[in-house]
Amino acid sequence: MIEVRFHEDLYDGFAVDEAVKAYGDFLSAELAREEQAWIVRFTPAPHAIEEGIDAWTLASELANYALGKTIERSRMPEDALALASGGEEA
Amino acid sequence: MSSTSAATATTEPSEGEKGEPAAPAKPHVIEIELDEQLYPKDVIYGAAYVFIDRCYVHLDRVGDGRVKVSLRAKRGGPALSEALAGELQNELLGQAWRQEIAAQNRKLIESVTARALGGAAGPPGLDELLAMDISDDTAFDDPLGIAMSWEDKYGKKKNKSSEGQAADGGTADGNASSGVADGTAVDRETP
Repeated sequence: MIEVRFHEDLYDGFAVDEAVKAYGDFLSAELAREEQAWIVRFTPAPHAIEEGIDAWTLASELANYALGKTIERSRMPEDALALASGGEEA
Repeated sequence: MSSTSAATATTEPSEGEKGEPAAPAKPHVIEIELDEQLYPKDVIYGAAYVFIDRCYVHLDRVGDGRVKVSLRAKRGGPALSEALAGELQNELLGQAWRQEIAAQNRKLIESVTARALGGAAGPPGLDELLAMDISDDTAFDDPLGIAMSWEDKYGKKKNKSSEGQAADGGTADGNASSGVADGTAVDRETP
């Protein structure tokens, strides 16, 4: 089991959620919110390991995706952000 | 300002259950601690975004007003990671400076943009047209004679010349067929 912490001051909750969905084929994950952080605990899928994707790389790719999405969302105008979030708040 | 160290990764792998493959050895990660007063969040975001195609970047808060950036090159060894960490610090400075310039010139940029948009607004609107003074004296004022027809401008001269030619034995049909050439010829004769 790998745990990745995303501080909520620095990462957008929607971005973290989207990252987990994007890599859903390669891992089985559970999300939690603890002590001002979004926590992703995951186990790599067997086929991902067979393909030579190690857990560290998967965690790093997931973190990169979440960071990229967070930055993109931080630069979106408010109306576009609300539309992208489906009217919810992160 | 900022401190760099090559140390642990930000993710915390733990030993899996029986039968699960153990996580591979921790990769070499460079950590840089930044003061948010010198490098605000937008600056860190800007610099990180430049590097996410070449590196794995992770951000974490390590104290009040302090952010830790963990960096690992996607390809290449620890030496490349360290070189990229140096580049990231340069990029952070560049981003901070760009933000400072943008803040200083914000009013000027807004003013220039407003002027450009005002100029691009196009022809006057209905209210401005209604406010314009359009009377009989000014509406059809044509000092350059642009609105005058060709016949009005050259007709009399052409008639004079056709009269002269008729007197010399020419016909009205002959004049009509000569068309514009006649008109220009008359012009040259009578400046």
